[in-house]
Amino acid sequence: MIEVSLARPADRVHDVCRRYAPDRENLIPALQEVQETEGFLSPEAVDAVAGYFRLSPNNVYGVATFYAQFRYRPPGRHCLKICQGTACHVQGSGVLLDAAQRTLGIRSGETTVDGDFGLEELACLGSCALAPAVVLDGVVHARQTPKKLNTLLEKARS
Amino acid sequence: MKEITLTIDGQPVRVDGGASVLEAAKALGIEVPSICSHPDLPAYGACRMCVVEIEGVRGFPTACTTPAADGMVVRTESETLRRLRENTLELMMSGHPNACLVCDYRAVCEKHKPTPSKAGTSTRCGLCGNRSECDLREIVLATPGRNLGLPTIYSHKKVERDDPFIERDHNLCILCGLCWRICDKIHGQPAISIVRRGKEARIAASFDRSWVDSGCTFCGACVDICPTGTISDRFAKWHGHPDNKILSTCMLCPEGCSFYEMTENNQVVATRMTGFAAEDRLCALGRFAYPQLLQDRDRINRPLLRESGELIPVSQEEAVDALGAALDGFRDGSFLFLGNDTELRETKHLYRSLATDVLKGKYHFMAAGSGAADLPETIAEKIENGTIRAVLSAGDLLPAELRERLAFLGVIDAFPSALSASADVVLPASILAETTGTFRDAAGTVKGVGPALPAPAHARPEWHWVRDLAQRLGADDWRRYRYAPDVTRTIGDDPAPAPLRTRPRDSVKDALPARFRGHLLADRVPALRAFGLPFTPPEATATEKRGFLIRRKEEIAPNFHSFLVEAPEIARYARPGQFIMVMAAETSERVPFTLTDWDPENGTILFIIEETGRSSRELCALRAGERIAHVSGPLGAPLDLTGANTVALAGGCYGIGAIYPFAKALHKAGKRVFVVLEASSHFLIYFEDELREFCEAIYFTTRDGSMGRRGAVHDVLVELLQSDDKRPDAMAAIGCTLMMQMATEATRPWSDVPLHVALNPIMIDGTGMCGACRVSVGGETSFACVDGPFFDGHEVDWAELASRRGAFVQVEVEAMPQNGTLAAHACRH
Ligand code: SF4
Ligand code: SF4
Ligand code: SF4
Ligand code: FES
Ligand code: FES
Repeated sequence: MIEVSLARPADRVHDVCRRYAPDRENLIPALQEVQETEGFLSPEAVDAVAGYFRLSPNNVYGVATFYAQFRYRPPGRHCLKICQGTACHVQGSGVLLDAAQRTLGIRSGETTVDGDFGLEELACLGSCALAPAVVLDGVVHARQTPKKLNTLLEKARS
Repeated sequence: MKEITLTIDGQPVRVDGGASVLEAAKALGIEVPSICSHPDLPAYGACRMCVVEIEGVRGFPTACTTPAADGMVVRTESETLRRLRENTLELMMSGHPNACLVCDYRAVCEKHKPTPSKAGTSTRCGLCGNRSECDLREIVLATPGRNLGLPTIYSHKKVERDDPFIERDHNLCILCGLCWRICDKIHGQPAISIVRRGKEARIAASFDRSWVDSGCTFCGACVDICPTGTISDRFAKWHGHPDNKILSTCMLCPEGCSFYEMTENNQVVATRMTGFAAEDRLCALGRFAYPQLLQDRDRINRPLLRESGELIPVSQEEAVDALGAALDGFRDGSFLFLGNDTELRETKHLYRSLATDVLKGKYHFMAAGSGAADLPETIAEKIENGTIRAVLSAGDLLPAELRERLAFLGVIDAFPSALSASADVVLPASILAETTGTFRDAAGTVKGVGPALPAPAHARPEWHWVRDLAQRLGADDWRRYRYAPDVTRTIGDDPAPAPLRTRPRDSVKDALPARFRGHLLADRVPALRAFGLPFTPPEATATEKRGFLIRRKEEIAPNFHSFLVEAPEIARYARPGQFIMVMAAETSERVPFTLTDWDPENGTILFIIEETGRSSRELCALRAGERIAHVSGPLGAPLDLTGANTVALAGGCYGIGAIYPFAKALHKAGKRVFVVLEASSHFLIYFEDELREFCEAIYFTTRDGSMGRRGAVHDVLVELLQSDDKRPDAMAAIGCTLMMQMATEATRPWSDVPLHVALNPIMIDGTGMCGACRVSVGGETSFACVDGPFFDGHEVDWAELASRRGAFVQVEVEAMPQNGTLAAHACRH
């Protein structure tokens, strides 16, 4: 069953937060749950979380951006995740990430303006034998190069 | 609290329990290097510079986070500690441009250029506004045998200039966290924080919002506490270390905050909080607008008197005399003085007495932030019906339609207005820091103002004018008011000014008073428009499609912008070594730039601009598709090197682009070309591929050794001169004067091989009119712009040249634009 919530985002976020005591150590779990329900951390959501924890939104955003798991735009129609685990890193996944950021014109954690792609970093994907690996819409693609990746993105777009 | 005793470096010391080891050491006068600690903030323990050894404690605790304990035995110096700190510094500095700190020529360079260049991006100390007061630099320079061995990783972050007053160069940030922690402490909630991590980490507001929307109040605390040049005050940054500070009171609103006026050459360049606590904070006006108001270029600075319909400058005595003579005729209760509620008590007191005792008339003090439109109805009516016929207005405080009803209007003010333009007499007033006396704030507290700083030309404190005027009107005993205290003594219990309904120190939105002396503050200080303060809209100017089209513009290295511009005439006639004069807008200064390339077929020219100083910044703010007002040239005598067979071309900074046409021409003529490039660090080398195409070999020299050889172009030039198979029979060196001078000295033993140097850096107008580029060559006087720009370096009198250049430095500082990207510059007119 699909639940459609008509509440304002700030109220929804507040409802989530209320399950936690307003202590700093609960900030991350609360943000995680907000992301789960909202799909991403919008400025309104961050403001609401900050209000609940009696912190400045700037604090909350600073803490959140320290972790790679949070995103700040609605997820894209396609989701590209690039593994930054050790094995992939050694095989040049950093270059891959740079290339993807350049091609898409976004940083990881962001979504392209047209809403086509979201980009994320992953800790080890568990496919070290396939390094450097990326996951596009749930499918693992092995031994990527910037060129291969571009073709992959082109295909997904069309 | 209980006192405890511990031993640091063999010396016993007693401190309060709760003190940190760092504080205990300080009590003994032992300086443990520390970056992220600050007396006003709790310990943070981020920089790890303050590591010490403590007996019985494993490892190397940080002194700032370790509480001192009874009987503790601490060592702050040891070989291991020295090594640890060096490693820490090395890591920290690898992410911070540091070429100047390891450069072998630092001493001579800093003597040569005593103030840093006003660059867009600070790619080293020599281009950093923080240089004269940089804690980081001090620590690095004090580290013996410093070895910043790791290559500099320059992160190429864009300098943020879009916010009013405060600009940020994140490439300099060491993430010590002092800025957001002090913001948190002062405001309870920080407006900024460290966002993201790793090499992306930087100081920002949430969602990278403009600070205007982040809750920032523009108190400037972060600017003042930042140990590096990351967060800077756009207006003050190039003034260097202020030479004096004056404890005074801000009179821009009835809050009357205490602050320090930081002065240089008796001019306020910035103001600062008296401490880093909530009660010390200043608002955006007091912290940032104040100095700009004082240094406004349009101050009224001479007394003016209307004669046959025109306002003409007169002496102070004539002005007082005329004003006195006129007001003498309005002693029948028809005189009104209009003044400002937030003013020196002395000034208000004498105005009050003048209006009531001497002239038997009325006075009214306008509340802070109000303007002509806020004039009380009752007063307007009296003017309307002719009860009031003469007004002396201390600012732009009277609506135009009421002015017309008056028989006489005197204005005493600091800034011009339509009102003062319609006055019968205008007196120039000293304001704010230019006055001394006392101020009563809205809470009733009396605070000191001054000592006074010099005011422009003939401006005087208002109470001086009033005193002289009263004497002219027969109040002889006013002679006793010689100094401010003579007036202060007679004031008694004066009323406090009406408080503001808003709290400027809490917010920049809807809280700042809009006016000062009736003038819109955002007209005088355009940056305030970003806070939504009202301003007079500029008259629409027709934007014609005139000037030279910029086809392409790129920042090819930090501060170096290449411009491809349509200029068919120049492209047709240009020869290697020639330059052009460029004016960004009709009103800009003319600046010379060497031509890098030209294409007669496409009618385009290519030149490279280094963003240092006002004019180049104006140009670099232009974008592809926009137009440059004027480009004239080609100018200067071309230099034909094709007579030689083997040529060494040395370029540094803008000179890398400037040697390109020679390389191209020589290559085409089938000559041997060796290119030698110099930069302080690897990330400042550009045009490498373009040059490679036209030379036999290319050599890199960097001051920090991060690319090619560690050193300067002359090292390579000398080697080429000494070699058997690459010995040049002509050389050219283009770059800053120091680079060219050093190349000259190093190659002097081979003075049979000419070393052509380009003296463009010393030109000002490029026509031989200003004489600034006068230079002695071979004992004869020449002008770089018409006789040069190329001369044989071995013939140039470098000492004379260096001494003459110093004079222009201060002028340049004062000409710096204050509007960030310059967007607002155009609309001031
Ligand atoms: S912040 Fe300090 S060390 Fe860094 S470039 Fe500026 S003056 Fe030099
Ligand atoms: S901006 Fe300045 S104060 Fe803030 S973290 Fe960076 S270096 Fe430290
Ligand atoms: S100017 Fe003041 S309020 Fe704004 S970020 Fe800096 S410390 Fe915080
Ligand atoms: S001063 Fe102690 S860790 Fe920075
Ligand atoms: S530039 Fe001024 S005389 Fe040459």
